[in-house]
Amino acid sequence: MQYFRRRKLRAMLAGGGLALVLPFILASHWTYVDWRDEHRNYPSRPSGYNQIVNTFGQPCNDNANAIADRWKAWDNDRWYDFRFHRKLGGYRTTIVPDQNGRSTNLDNDMWGHINTHHDNDHVKSGIWGYACRYIDGTSSWSTHAWGIAIDVSASFEHVGHYHSHVNGAHADTWERHRWYWGKNFGDAMHFQYADNY
Amino acid sequence: MKRWMIAAIAAGMGVAAALGVAAVAATAPVELGPPALHDETVPRMPLDLGVGERLILVVDGVYDTQGEAEEAAAALSFGELQGFYVAQINQFAGLREAVGSTGSWALVSSFRTQEGAEEFAALAQAAGADPVITPRVQSLPGVFTGLGQEARPDGRGPLTVSVPASAPTEVPG
Repeated sequence: MQYFRRRKLRAMLAGGGLALVLPFILASHWTYVDWRDEHRNYPSRPSGYNQIVNTFGQPCNDNANAIADRWKAWDNDRWYDFRFHRKLGGYRTTIVPDQNGRSTNLDNDMWGHINTHHDNDHVKSGIWGYACRYIDGTSSWSTHAWGIAIDVSASFEHVGHYHSHVNGAHADTWERHRWYWGKNFGDAMHFQYADNY
Repeated sequence: MKRWMIAAIAAGMGVAAALGVAAVAATAPVELGPPALHDETVPRMPLDLGVGERLILVVDGVYDTQGEAEEAAAALSFGELQGFYVAQINQFAGLREAVGSTGSWALVSSFRTQEGAEEFAALAQAAGADPVITPRVQSLPGVFTGLGQEARPDGRGPLTVSVPASAPTEVPG
């Protein structure tokens, strides 16, 4: 008799515990429950300088930083604000406000995939996008100057190495959305919407 | 010579050739950095010193020696992006007073507009720096400190000429 009472008590404790924990487990799903992968109006990925200019305009033009977004870094809980090109996001969706953008690529589709795949724990500190800057040590424009490059987990990914510590977890998602991974040229923090540049 | 011997020799030569190609490929120098660095058709912008102009600087520390300043610059990672430049503090008239330091070298990047300076300061903060934005100081002859890396106020591309607020004045002799 006492045996059955103990089992009943254990079952009640387990059920109560599950009821307490379940909302937290499901919370991350609920956050993006309305998200849809839209794939609207992606531009072709340009190759080389001339195609980049033909597709996205001059470096530092006012479309290059037209769209704003903010991503949270998993390791330090800090929100990083960054901007990027009008052709790569800012199109109104269920999770993105209308910013007069032309596509759903970065802020809706990429970010939605990263979250629904629970890869956001591999989005770490040091995140930036548009920057009207040259490539380090040169006077040639970086892809960041067109707002077509995003650096992610910069505190953990080091320039000059052909391996990745963090971003490998979501790199294939970027590549499936036409982004080119800088790991190919020794810069694993860097994703750019162009190749041969 | 027997046919099987000819076939064996040919196969051996094929394997040797394949190994040779693989060895050359493995030892070939790997090009680090974005492909733009190795492409001679990619435009290089002129190094604009803005001598005589009244520029806004983003400064991330003043140091006693050039070595210390370069070490501090190397410790900041901006990925593929150009970060701060190392310059002597007396390259800018009024900079010493603006930063209130006795050091001789500084990490700086120069701008013609407040918007450009603020944009770079935000990037530097995201990269872990703790920059300050100075009031306008006069640029004297010296090294390149990044001028030209900001957007034109009309939004049509990079700002490569002075604006009214930065208009050059006579450089003291």
